[in-house]
Amino acid sequence: MTGGAIALAIVAVVLAGTVAFALIGVHRVRMDPAQYIVGGRSFGTVLLWVLLAGEIYTTFTFLGIAGLSYSQGAPAFYVMAYGACAYVIGYYLTPAIWRVGKERGLLTGADFFGVCFNSRALGVWVALLQFVMIVPYVALQLSGLQILLQIAGYGAYPATASVCVAFIVLALFVFTTGLRGTAWASVVKDLLVLGAVIFAGIAIPVRFFGSPARMFDHVLQTHPQMLTLAPGGAYHGTVWFVSTVLLSAIGFFMGPHSWNAVYSARSGDTLRRNAALLPLYQGFVSLMIFAGLTAALVLPGLKGPAVDQSFLLVVSRYYPPWIVGVVCSAGALAALIPASALLLGGASVITKNVAGDVFGLATGDRARTMLTRVLVLVVAMLALVFWLTSQRTVVEMLLIYYNGITQFLPGVVATFLWRRATAWGVGAGIAVGLLVAVPLAAFNVATWGINPGLVGLAANAIVVVAVSLAADDGTRATSR
Amino acid sequence: MRPTPPSGASWLRLLLAAIPFAALSVLVPVANRVEPRIFGIPFLLAWIVGWVLLTPAFLWTIGRLERHW
Repeated sequence: MTGGAIALAIVAVVLAGTVAFALIGVHRVRMDPAQYIVGGRSFGTVLLWVLLAGEIYTTFTFLGIAGLSYSQGAPAFYVMAYGACAYVIGYYLTPAIWRVGKERGLLTGADFFGVCFNSRALGVWVALLQFVMIVPYVALQLSGLQILLQIAGYGAYPATASVCVAFIVLALFVFTTGLRGTAWASVVKDLLVLGAVIFAGIAIPVRFFGSPARMFDHVLQTHPQMLTLAPGGAYHGTVWFVSTVLLSAIGFFMGPHSWNAVYSARSGDTLRRNAALLPLYQGFVSLMIFAGLTAALVLPGLKGPAVDQSFLLVVSRYYPPWIVGVVCSAGALAALIPASALLLGGASVITKNVAGDVFGLATGDRARTMLTRVLVLVVAMLALVFWLTSQRTVVEMLLIYYNGITQFLPGVVATFLWRRATAWGVGAGIAVGLLVAVPLAAFNVATWGINPGLVGLAANAIVVVAVSLAADDGTRATSR
Repeated sequence: MRPTPPSGASWLRLLLAAIPFAALSVLVPVANRVEPRIFGIPFLLAWIVGWVLLTPAFLWTIGRLERHW
């Protein structure tokens, strides 16, 4: 067997094994909409921890941190910092959202807005925005998957075709098992990623330099500026770092699929425990920084998107095919598990907030589960077509995702802390936030080094307050 | 629902949350240097990873004080 055949066979076996494991985990669970979309609001600490770690740590974590460390060094550390900051916010925010979800029987993030501001129109507006954000984000995961399968096949097999096969299997898997299946599959993914990360961050530096500490010696000798940030408002300097950490921490739990996971908790304390424990997983992921820096020394000279492959190229050049297979399996699951959560998130907002709330379709339990399932396949096909036809625009669409999800936060905070906020204020705030942040990010407008999303967020908050006060219709946001 | 009220003043609990948050955001520029290296890891990276690993201790303590567990 060639190296590519061995590595790809391992990837295929791991993916099939993960699907089988999850199918066993969910067999005999009866599927009503609450079970299918939010796991029956019954996940305990362990299953929820596994699910959250499963959907938070994507291929970007796996490949992107190493790639950013490879090409830029210290700016990559922001990923570590914002995760932990996000869990501090999440400790307070997620139990509050969960309680509203439990008391009002919410299924989606858009539900939260529709119910708390008593405005179906706001719910639909949020649902449509979330849907538009999900498709390119799934496509990004497919791009990550393609890199992994290309490396696993040593370039000898058509990666695009294997991506399509893997993704169709995934869509059918989500169709069958819903959120609970994703949680079970995350068990395998989290463990494999953990193993791969420890290998990448410890074993690879040890092999080339004797120890991670010696690896840092080499980095400091050859690139003395690489492990500290440029001062102040410089490109990727300290101002950028702090503002990006704040922005990303704020947006962390606002992803369209995160809502399903928050609602799936058994209790508010389950979410608090998770917020307290997830930084430990985050700490392990920092080993990918070691891996990226090692790759920068061992295999210098990669440019552009190729930097994301840096550490995988080191593995495929210096290690046997079976290790390549295991590492790529971990990476493939890191693409597919978040993608499955995203498919479910995208399908559920359309079923509930558009088909159900606007057109009065599929409001019964059986019809709603069925429609969500069918829409999982539809969203999957849309994402696949989007990915196959417009790979260049994925990056631009992602600007909408990262800058966009954060814009949902002012409305959420207002429901708990400023009840005079109105549906019009929140809806207009989201729109203005997007209109400010996305062009600033797309055209690289200099904003004194401050992340454009944070500028958009400030505009958003001002508009929420101004519109709510100017057009006070007497309504009060209510989280009860 | 809860048998006993939270212990510790509420400002203390908020401070416990603010410490790791600030250390990983606004205080990062203060830690922006290579020396001293901790176990060979440059100071900035050691600072960030260290605080990430300490965050659970802070959040867990808050949970205890609020009698969530």
